[in-house]
Formats: sequence, structure tokens, C-alpha cells
Amino acid sequence: MKSAATLPARVLWNAFFWTYERATWQYDLMVIAILAFVWLTPPDWLHDPTAHGSGPLGWMRTVLAR
Amino acid sequence: MTLTGLIGRICMFPLQLIISTCVALRIHPNILTFVGLLINVAAAVALGRGRFVLAGFIMGVANIFDFIDGKVAHQLNAVSVFGGFWDSVIDRFSDIALFVGLIYLYSRLGRTDYVMITALAMMFAIMTSYTRARAESLIARCKVGFMERPERIVLFLIGAFTNRMAAVMWVIGVLSVFTVADRIIYTYRELQAHPEKVVA
Repeated sequence: MKSAATLPARVLWNAFFWTYERATWQYDLMVIAILAFVWLTPPDWLHDPTAHGSGPLGWMRTVLAR
Repeated sequence: MTLTGLIGRICMFPLQLIISTCVALRIHPNILTFVGLLINVAAAVALGRGRFVLAGFIMGVANIFDFIDGKVAHQLNAVSVFGGFWDSVIDRFSDIALFVGLIYLYSRLGRTDYVMITALAMMFAIMTSYTRARAESLIARCKVGFMERPERIVLFLIGAFTNRMAAVMWVIGVLSVFTVADRIIYTYRELQAHPEKVVA
């Protein structure tokens, strides 16, 4: 039986050693994670040469800080 | 049905119409492939000038040609070994053209950090294709790793239309490194496990 401690390691390994086909739920999950990174990461954090500002995450932080 | 599967099915409707038109006009698939490259070069010029939205539209058109050439070849019964080779070679030129456009833009902006990130992303994107091609000269199939050409194209489109090209370069770069590593590991394991199945 696999212990609970190995589960995160297995998830990480499966994400790294990618063997899933397109149009599977694992693929959808990866796409969502990538889109979240691309759209939510403030351009300033990445020192984006063509985009500026703090993006949706920065906007949420500002709203929450009020 | 998954979300990405549904999007794929929706996109197939207009593409099927274009494929039927090309088949009716009996346009040779190798010409479609080459036209796709020329349009991608135009997209690279737009990227180099920092006109991302325009580049996005041009890339969209170019990738229609990229996508339909194989389907047209099947429907015209024009599938050939050379056609497959031609398609792969032209695809690499198209890939490189887009990266070069971005490298030009970032160097013009004096951003050597992003010149390096984009150059590394380009290097690993090319190695992604090379490792599979080389592996499949030794083993039957090496289709592991996430960041293949369709994913790169969609990410380029997303980066262009939403002005998030820097984040896209990070994603393509990092996931292409993983993909190359996956293919090396997979090929090593296959060769160790089934030395008798080595193709060449």
C-alpha cells in the first residue's frame, strides 16, 4: 500500500514525467495551472519588458487591503 | 468530455470548411505548409516590432495552414514520406522565426535578460522536436512530455493577444526543459528494458 507521504511526490513526479494524452482531465488541470500563471502573475514580478502593472493578483491584494 | 476536448471540437467546424475548400481546389499540401511558413515569418516581423495583437492574428492564420496541410494530404491521397519530412522541417523554421522575432524585440528594448530567456526557450523547443525524432529512430514511439508544438502555438497566441509574452516565455522555457528530460529518461528506460526492440 502506498503511504500518504508518497502521494504528493507521485503527483509531482507525474506532472514532471508527463505521459498523459491531450483531452484528459490531467491535461485540463495542467492547462488551467499554466493559464493561471500566465494571466495572474503580475507582469512587474517577471520584469515583463512589454507589460506593466500588478495584474489581477495585485488588484485583488489592493481590494483586500482596503 | 473534457474542456480542451470541447474547445478542439468547436474549432474543427470552421477548419473542416477550409480543408474542404483546399481539397476542392486541389491545392498541394506541401504548398500549404510553405505558405504557413511565410505567414509565420510575417508574424515574427510583427512580434519584432512589438505589435503583439497583429502578430497574434497573423499567427492564427499561419497555424490554420499548419494544421490543415496533413488533413488535406489525407483527403487528396497525397500523403508521402517526403511530405512528412517537409512538414517537420518547415515547422522548425516557423518555430524559430517566432522566437527570433521576440529576441529582436527584446534586444531592441535593451533587455538582455529576456533575450536569454527567449533564446533558451527556443533552444529547448527545438530540442523537444529533436529528442523525439532521434528517439524514434531507436525506439518505436517517444511521445512523452507536455510542451509540444500545439501547446507552444497556443501559448504564443495567448501571449500575443493578452500581452503576456514574458510569462509565456517562462512557461515554454521551463516546460520544454522538462519535456526534453522526459524524452531522454523515457528513451533510456525503453532501451534498457527492451534492447531487442531497438529499431536501428
